[in-house]
Amino acid sequence: MPQYFPPNSNAFAKWSIIGGLIFFTLLLTCLAIYVRSYRNRVNVPVSQPIPFSHALHAGELGVDCRYCHTSVEVAASANIPPVETCMTCHSQIRQGSPRLYPLYASWDQAIPGVNDTASLEAGTNAPAPNSERLEWNRVHDLADFVYFNHSAHINKGVGCSSCHGEVNRMEGMWKNEQMSMGWCLECHKAPEKHVRPIDEVFNANYKKPTNQIALGKQLVEEYHINTDKLPQCSTCHR
Amino acid sequence: MNIDKSREILSGAREFGSDLSSSAEEKFELTVIGVAEEPEFDNTAESVQVIRERLAELDQSEGKTYWRSLEELSETEEFQAYLEQEFPRQSAPLESGLDRREFMKLLGASLALGGLTACVRPNPQEKIVPYVRAPEEIIPGKPIMYASAITQNGYAQGVLVENHNGRPTRLEGNPSQPGSMGSIDAQTTAEILRMYDPDRSKEVLQGGSSSDWDSFSEAVSSLDGNIAILTGTVTSPTLASKIDAVLNARSGAKWYQYSPQNADNVLAGSEIAFGSWIVPQYNFEEADIVLSLDADFVNSGPAKLKYARAFSDRRRVRTGEDTMNRLYMVESTPTSTGAMADHRLPMAASAVEGFAREVAAAVGLGSTDSHAALPDGWMDALVDDLTNHASVVVAGDEQPPIVHAIAAAINEAIGAVGRTVTYHKPAMAKPEIQSESIKFLVDDMNSGKIDTLVMIDSNPVYDAPADLDFAAALDNVATSIHLGLYNDETAVRSSWHVPQANELESWGDARAFDGTISIIQPQIQPIYGGKSPLEVLSLFLGTADTAYDSIRAFWQSAASGGDFNLFWNHVLYNGVVDDTASAPMRARAKSTIFDEPASHGADGIEIVFRPDPNIGSGKYSNSSWLQELPKPFTKLTWDNAALISPKLAEAEGLKSKDVINITVGDKSIDAPVWIMPGQAEKTITLHTGYGRTNAGKVGNGIGFDANVLRTNEHAHFVSASITKTRKKYKLVSTQLHGILESDGIGDRHITRGGTLADFQAHPEHPGFVHPVAHHASDLYDDFEYDGYAWGMVVDQTVCNGCNACITACQSENNIPVVGKDQVAVGREMQWLRVDAYYGGSVDNPEFFSQPVACMHCEKAPCEPVCPFGATVHDADGLNVMVYNRCGGTRYCSNNCPYKVRRFNFLQYAELEENAMALLQNPDVTVRSRGVMEKCTYCIQRIQQAYITSENEDRTIADGDVVTACQSACPTQAIVFGDINDENSEVAKVRKSKLNYGLFEELNTVPRTTYLARITNPHPSLAVASSYGSDSHGSDTHGAEEGGH
Amino acid sequence: MALSLKRLRSLPKGETDRVIGRDARTNQFPDAGAIDDVVNAPVYVHPLKTPMWWIIGFCISLFFLSIYITSVVYLIAKGTGIWGNNIPTAWAMPIINFVWWIGIGHAGTLISAALLLFRQDWRTSINRFAEAMTIFAVVCAGLYPILHLGRPWVFYWLMPYPNTYGLFPQFRSPLAWDVFAISTYGSVSILFWFIGLIPDLATIRDRHPYKFGKIFYGTLALGWRGSAKHWQRYMRAYLLLAAISFPLVLSVHSTISFDFAVSNLPGWNNTIMPPYFVAGAVFAGFAMVLILAIPLRKVYGLEHLITMKHLDNSAKLMLATGLFVVYGYGVECFIAWYSGAETERYMLYNRVFGSDYGWAFWVLIFCNGVAIQPLWWKRVRYNVWWLFGISIIVSIGMWFERYVIVAITLTRDFLPSSWGLYVPTFWDWAMFIGSMGLFCTLFFLFIRLLPTIATSEMKETNWHLSHVGDPSLRYKENEEEL
Repeated sequence: MPQYFPPNSNAFAKWSIIGGLIFFTLLLTCLAIYVRSYRNRVNVPVSQPIPFSHALHAGELGVDCRYCHTSVEVAASANIPPVETCMTCHSQIRQGSPRLYPLYASWDQAIPGVNDTASLEAGTNAPAPNSERLEWNRVHDLADFVYFNHSAHINKGVGCSSCHGEVNRMEGMWKNEQMSMGWCLECHKAPEKHVRPIDEVFNANYKKPTNQIALGKQLVEEYHINTDKLPQCSTCHR
Repeated sequence: MNIDKSREILSGAREFGSDLSSSAEEKFELTVIGVAEEPEFDNTAESVQVIRERLAELDQSEGKTYWRSLEELSETEEFQAYLEQEFPRQSAPLESGLDRREFMKLLGASLALGGLTACVRPNPQEKIVPYVRAPEEIIPGKPIMYASAITQNGYAQGVLVENHNGRPTRLEGNPSQPGSMGSIDAQTTAEILRMYDPDRSKEVLQGGSSSDWDSFSEAVSSLDGNIAILTGTVTSPTLASKIDAVLNARSGAKWYQYSPQNADNVLAGSEIAFGSWIVPQYNFEEADIVLSLDADFVNSGPAKLKYARAFSDRRRVRTGEDTMNRLYMVESTPTSTGAMADHRLPMAASAVEGFAREVAAAVGLGSTDSHAALPDGWMDALVDDLTNHASVVVAGDEQPPIVHAIAAAINEAIGAVGRTVTYHKPAMAKPEIQSESIKFLVDDMNSGKIDTLVMIDSNPVYDAPADLDFAAALDNVATSIHLGLYNDETAVRSSWHVPQANELESWGDARAFDGTISIIQPQIQPIYGGKSPLEVLSLFLGTADTAYDSIRAFWQSAASGGDFNLFWNHVLYNGVVDDTASAPMRARAKSTIFDEPASHGADGIEIVFRPDPNIGSGKYSNSSWLQELPKPFTKLTWDNAALISPKLAEAEGLKSKDVINITVGDKSIDAPVWIMPGQAEKTITLHTGYGRTNAGKVGNGIGFDANVLRTNEHAHFVSASITKTRKKYKLVSTQLHGILESDGIGDRHITRGGTLADFQAHPEHPGFVHPVAHHASDLYDDFEYDGYAWGMVVDQTVCNGCNACITACQSENNIPVVGKDQVAVGREMQWLRVDAYYGGSVDNPEFFSQPVACMHCEKAPCEPVCPFGATVHDADGLNVMVYNRCGGTRYCSNNCPYKVRRFNFLQYAELEENAMALLQNPDVTVRSRGVMEKCTYCIQRIQQAYITSENEDRTIADGDVVTACQSACPTQAIVFGDINDENSEVAKVRKSKLNYGLFEELNTVPRTTYLARITNPHPSLAVASSYGSDSHGSDTHGAEEGGH
Repeated sequence: MALSLKRLRSLPKGETDRVIGRDARTNQFPDAGAIDDVVNAPVYVHPLKTPMWWIIGFCISLFFLSIYITSVVYLIAKGTGIWGNNIPTAWAMPIINFVWWIGIGHAGTLISAALLLFRQDWRTSINRFAEAMTIFAVVCAGLYPILHLGRPWVFYWLMPYPNTYGLFPQFRSPLAWDVFAISTYGSVSILFWFIGLIPDLATIRDRHPYKFGKIFYGTLALGWRGSAKHWQRYMRAYLLLAAISFPLVLSVHSTISFDFAVSNLPGWNNTIMPPYFVAGAVFAGFAMVLILAIPLRKVYGLEHLITMKHLDNSAKLMLATGLFVVYGYGVECFIAWYSGAETERYMLYNRVFGSDYGWAFWVLIFCNGVAIQPLWWKRVRYNVWWLFGISIIVSIGMWFERYVIVAITLTRDFLPSSWGLYVPTFWDWAMFIGSMGLFCTLFFLFIRLLPTIATSEMKETNWHLSHVGDPSLRYKENEEEL
């Protein structure tokens, strides 16, 4: 009877078992990593109609977070500032800068030489007032069934930078953390690791002290943070 | 971010067409089931006989028994075979088949079990569009409540409108408005749905083809000849003055009013009694004894919320010291009021006059020869009560004028006037007998006296009395203009139709039943470009005033001095104009009342017309919320039926779902019957509001049109004849699904109740509350809840089953509607249901209403069985349902003794973005297919209150959290709060000895508990009516129970 | 030399023995190879010469399989609502069928593991296809719980694996236990089955007439050369696996029964459940073994390998377990009365006399209680037609048992206001029939591609016969049967 199988095929049979195992584990890990990074675009700057720089405004100029994000202390959402807010400065500063085109295009008043029809006829590429809506691209997008509340965090000593990172150094804006449920739970299970004194909440440069845990425990006590309720489903899901 | 959140919400919208269209087709005609299929059913006379026997034997065996339906009691083979047959089989609910492409796609997906494909899907880039100039008062994500009002039959019901970033999402009652008292009824709650309804007419129509506002206003300006204006009941001062202005401006112009639910009888009655048009208002707070002559005062009429509250306030029994009022009721068909009665007597509507005369005679007024068949001692007890206590007699709006007159006379005789009843100037801008008004209008139309007819917010072609044949008369009018929300029956026959702005979209004002004026302020721009009546009428004055101009103008002149803006803001803020309630008037009843000829009740079959308890007389026909809302007691959805008494069924050999032919004069209709316990023997109740042809996708072709039989002379009841047909019709009830045996209900003590006397006899351990010994014992320790512990108590004594809570819940929690076919197979989604139970005799039972939602058991059986851990307890003891973790094993539902969990068997919630998306409550997740859901105690409200309190570093105060059902409840039967807080209302109520938990013997430790139902029969009539107790129930058992 | 099935079957009665040289008196095969030839004959057949009856049968199975796939696709497209499930009957046919299939899957392990450990040599001729049956049944069963989910695509949440939610399954739930019970059972059975196959695959590799066959089976045989070392290790492994899988016979269905026993429903919350379910499973399993064995031995002419003795033993086991099941019904009734709980009593009343579902109870009493009584008589046990009929009835009866336990119990629980009815829909049935299609498809592939009898073990037994001799395998009766 002729030989159909080469002598080494037994060895092959053996190794194929181990090899297969390794192959599949690798495949799954790669897939998992790919999927995860692809979904939550962590550390990936999101392009915006206006190349707004937090580094400039919050960093160099030292504008307070609450100047624009007005409702962060009182409501669930921090609020994206209305065009009006930008115009308080930009009706004077950097007037007519092409990078601010979308801003002027969305503004409802004509500013001579900036976004009025007259200057349009004059041939400058200035936008007409009310010609376009200003549409920012959303950076932090939680699932619809998650009910995050900024005020609840701000008032209990969770700093902006704890989640958003050092915004005052960010030229563009990106997600600084994975913002997965597991990530939220890290803090909700052990708030003392992250809480800071209330007056440091808006300090983007805040560095955790060496005695964070001790301090944290004390603050949790002080701010009446209910550690029983924190890690529960009903805290975020309704 | 805010805009963005609402976008997220948009991505979870609900739309009706898709769900309901499927059911709509076969709903239209009475579906005829071949007689062949019908199991041989020898006549029901026997099966009802069987019922009686069963009851009798059960009475001996287990003392009082419960039964939920006649079906349940009758155990004849045929009947069960029949019910089995009748039980709706499910047709796979797929409208359109899958095409090949889709199929292959799905094939791929299904083979991968969707899992992998799902998790590599990238998130779409969401946009954030900021305001250009942010409105000051709007804090993104925080709702603002605006005071306004919704009119029902012309009368204002005060509301607070929850407004999210300029998007009204929900209505609640306005506490400072007398017509609301902070409560709200199911219909008014559903008004928000009616506003967003995509079926609303969206464009001006000329002769059915599309036109526009400008060409309409031109057409109006060029109109000449006699103008007639037809409105419903008008209480709005501004509208009235506007109409007057038109009447003055255009010579020969006339104003007619017609609304199918009107005060004709009340006015005519006062005419007889006092010679002038005045209307009574009742002070139930003062009344110890109430006699209702076929008056459903707690659940119909403009004052129902006020009356329900006041009446119930006198029935809140907590301890043995508490007292309560006593209600005697004679009525033709069971109503919410009748269900609360201590002594209820079914009586033909036409016989009520005779009864009234008897009572009058008994208190020394007039004399009568009529003798209604009353139980022994009934009249004596009644008269004894009426004469010796602060009493009041209430006559029903459906009763003829003379009954109202007699009631007035009796009230005067027993010294009720000024105490328990006061007389007032009608709130109507122009009081008139509307049945006459509409008749004159039709006559004028037929005699060609009218060139232009303007019909404002009315649908006479559908609801005007049939004998007037309004549709025909309409053809004699050159120009007919219809202003309405829908392109309805009248609109399609009019030469012009103008889409009307909903009251939530336009400025207006209206009076409550007591005359108090509310300003109606718009919550949003007319989303379908509707116009308000004021705008349309302005055209006739040649002005283009907006509604706002008109209202401002009117009130500027009306407001008495002072700074107008101050006044205006104050009024808008409160929702009412101070001191506009009408003052009581002195009135002496004439002695001539009893000279009026007495009419005697017909002894043949009599039809009673009533507006449908849910959808009214047609206004809410297209409201899927109200269509799917189980009607009180019958629990029917999506249809109306002819309610007949068991005795009549017996006599005619009828059973529920049989179709009968009802004939009045030369008109006749087919209607499916429903056997209604407690119905007057020969009375058939027909509900109007169905059989619509132009209501909209939802309302078209459901049920039958009872108006066909309704004549101007006999608008409320009329004698008729019936014949049994061989047809069958699929009526769908949420509670009767194949329930056949009464065995197994006997000793479950689901709803419990007793008499006030019983309770006072054993104030510490009332036997009927804990009939069976139950020693709480458990292998496991109880859980500790040292923080908040939310709990709810439902007082069954004052719950009258009005359904307000269900719709409130539906609106608050984004609960989808599933359609008739799905309800038929037991998949209704309402988180809260009101179970109906009957106790005692078939012909005149005691009615029990038991609202059942998630009990939030401290030891919830649903939790340990969920493999995903999707339903768990939180620190407040809430049983939370985490939709996004739910895989849909449905094990939790199996293990729930209360069956309060609802499952999304199909994609019920519409996920498309559309108008209905705006309706969604952004604080509540919209559930997808395959997910379990249930009552959450309105956790979104709890969390909101919690976060607020934490931000302010305080604890939640009692009353900070009000659940949707609680806020709506007209009788405040629902109490909610923190049971750990000694001083909270709920904690106090739970301490009552009447407090018991449903199936507490299962050791589920429910957080929702019930107060046993207390009745207060006259001592001489008191029967041992302590429901729930049984042979082995006794006080000592109660004592052992005490601890639990 | 290989000998085609056609040739074998064409032989006149008795001739078979002469050709393969079997001594009818002692039931011995002088040439062990003859056993291979008889058993493996179908495997050697060239694909193009596949017998028509197989092709037809296979196509029919494929047709039903396609129904299954269709209904699965439709289910995932539309949702659980295509079934008749509702509130209160949240569990219905899918769970019924799931339990039914798992039950069928039981005989395999029992035969292969338990009987092996008890040294019941007669098992050797039926264990192979019984195991195959087990595996296929477990496949059919295992799919149900997944498809039954409202959102089947999240089934993997039931596995404890590290995830971004920081969540694990909720291990107090019996459904979480099921996941492990079933997956363990499935994997062990497959392993056990395959190891048993290896020597036979090697035989086929060596004797297969065509090259593709040699390569195909050669690959599967994993280089088995039948050396003493191989045999010694093989035996140890086989015994070991038998020891491991023996407890599964009891554990798996006990776990399934916990789905019901652990809940608080009257009619479910019952301590008799585990033993009662296991017995029922073995009962149903043996019924299915007979349903498959009787035609199989006929078409493949294996009457002298799967002898009446085997059928007889299976029938006895069926009778025994059947009686235990009936005892289970008795206990349920007793408990219902003894508990004194209104709900329990009413549950039983409704099951037995209930107007809409009472009939189902009596059907199952007849099928599982009455129909098996004839098995007391040897004549019945030795009549293939009787056995086949009874087995069919038993399978139906066991389905009804689950129907009564699952669906009917749910329609009447604590709160009468939410009592309901359950009416299966077209898709309920489609999926059930379809799952049978899946089962048959796999089984047809099995009988075509693999030896339906463990030839190596048979040869061993045969050797025992010829050298030791085993009176238990000497028959007189089966002569007339053949």
